[in-house]
Amino acid sequence: MPLATAVWNVSDRMPSAPPQAVASERALDRFLRGIERRALRIAELSTRHREDALELVQDAMLAFARSYADKPEDEWTPLFHRVLDSRILDFHRRSTVRRRWRVWFGRSGDEGEEDPLEQVADPHDPGPMLRMADGQTRAALDAALRALPLRQRQTFLLRLWEGLDVAQTAAAMGCSEGSVKTHLSRALAALRPRLEDLR
Amino acid sequence: MTTHEHTPAAGEPAASDARWTDAARRMLDEAADDLDAATLSQLNRARQAALAASRTRRAPAWAWPALFAAAASCALAVLVWPVAQAPLETTPPGMIVAGDLELLAADAELALYEDLEFYAWLDTQQSADG
Repeated sequence: MPLATAVWNVSDRMPSAPPQAVASERALDRFLRGIERRALRIAELSTRHREDALELVQDAMLAFARSYADKPEDEWTPLFHRVLDSRILDFHRRSTVRRRWRVWFGRSGDEGEEDPLEQVADPHDPGPMLRMADGQTRAALDAALRALPLRQRQTFLLRLWEGLDVAQTAAAMGCSEGSVKTHLSRALAALRPRLEDLR
Repeated sequence: MTTHEHTPAAGEPAASDARWTDAARRMLDEAADDLDAATLSQLNRARQAALAASRTRRAPAWAWPALFAAAASCALAVLVWPVAQAPLETTPPGMIVAGDLELLAADAELALYEDLEFYAWLDTQQSADG
């Protein structure tokens, strides 16, 4: 049988993949579909830009599918967040370097970039009550979360929103369980005065 | 040891934080549910790309014959290609013409090479006479 014919016959059979492969792909699809929106919001709270966040989530999905899709499903959530968290960290490192270069070359943030001062929490912030009265509750929550240091924000979101336990959060963030507890304690302490009237 | 009212035990938020942390969680859920259509479309494309990547990464058992056939074809092509291209690697036409001209211009030297045996014999005769 000519080689080309043999290849054609084999490729003809390809669509009939084993049920196990189809099932695992469906499981992966279900998992990604379930986590993608929260992943985007987590990335967006760190990057402040939707497009940057989308890029990070896309990268994380690709890397996760390539490297961890064959792991047991109950390990997928912390593993996915491990991948996403490392991309968020990389993004922050690159942003820090870019900011440093801009300062060295005397360029200010007047080219569509955000003012670095906006990233610092305002100690005289009127608090959530006033802004909630204006119907901006979600914006107030976002602002409070963005004002947190990266690791505290990640801990808060992974522990209290994603529902990971301490060990899973530590695995996702690549740090010790003690660090997770410390980060969460500090995040709660920082958020409490701004959000405790949230209902 | 006294414990502050808000200090979480073993990494857990204190009970007094439950109300606002629950509200925060609910609002985060709402924000995630309210994503616009363009963003959802981009997420969908990203998910499809990830699924395609997982498909190619796995290379399941039923794909191995096809991969083997493709690899064999490539190997065959690599082996056959240099042989098929061999004539192209001979001396370029310009060089051939130049070499021929050099030979044609050296007619006298060619005659010398043809009579070399005679000159060798002559030399031995002269040595014997001498």
